Amino acid sequence: MRIACPFCGERENGEFTYLGDAAPKRPNFVVDGGESPERIEDAFYDYVYLRDNLAGVMREYWYHGGGCRSWLVAERNTVTHEFIAVTAAPGAGAASAMRAGE
Amino acid sequence: MADFSWNTQSPLERALVPGHHGVTGTQVGVMLEEVRDINLVQVMARRGKVVETVKAAKKVFGVEPPSTPGTAAGRHATLIWSGPDQFIAFSARSERDHFSKLSDAFAGVASLSDQSDGRCLIRIGGPRARQALSKFCSLDLDDRAFPPGAAATTSIDHTATNIWRGADSSDGHAVFHILVFTSFADSLWHTIQDAALEYGVQASLAHTA
Repeated sequence: MRIACPFCGERENGEFTYLGDAAPKRPNFVVDGGESPERIEDAFYDYVYLRDNLAGVMREYWYHGGGCRSWLVAERNTVTHEFIAVTAAPGAGAASAMRAGE
Repeated sequence: MADFSWNTQSPLERALVPGHHGVTGTQVGVMLEEVRDINLVQVMARRGKVVETVKAAKKVFGVEPPSTPGTAAGRHATLIWSGPDQFIAFSARSERDHFSKLSDAFAGVASLSDQSDGRCLIRIGGPRARQALSKFCSLDLDDRAFPPGAAATTSIDHTATNIWRGADSSDGHAVFHILVFTSFADSLWHTIQDAALEYGVQASLAHTA
């Protein structure tokens, strides 16, 4: 399997590390905003532990540690292993500003 | 206080045995060299300071650093792409205050790290260099995919490396440069030499001008 890094070009998959679903967003509660502790705990439990087990196309984080050491977001079909698109994760490189929650 | 001094020593002190290795006879398919006396400075643009970093590099080296995998020949230095918005400035070790001069030039816009003694530079040439490399490097090193001036950061033998292709030798053969962390240099040297034995290896030391 070969993965097309948007910075390096096509590389063997051994250069990459899989993190997982790119969908979960870190819950963002206002400090002392009056939210119940149970709701906050639930939201963080979801964020840290719960994942959908998709059969089909999903967005995933991959890390090109064996190359340019950039975080990437890949659209991959979990059934066929086809990579549909690979783009730089927000904050990769120094050009773009970091976006909250990703 | 006792006198104390550091002795610099090549990471290939034991691995590099100058001379001919491999096939009997004088056939040399691969020329394997360690290049010593190098200056390496890793330059990484700070967040949002890419344009300023490019500008500073142009002022110091006379060329813009490569924005895609590749090299750029600048004044007294070759700039090698090493990742998005970062590059390695490679030059011969001559001036003593090389690093502080660069630090001043990039002050506030990029973070610099002196890697001169952190990496080992191995040069591979000769008519069979590509065949030897293809045994352990997964990149396509064909002329069409990796012409002179091409560069890549890749894993070779499970080791992080920067590889780039310089100008061809006078006899027309491709010349590849591999930068590797000093602590992995011994292991990588053995890998390369073993892969090249069947073609005949000429191992030697080189010094930057």
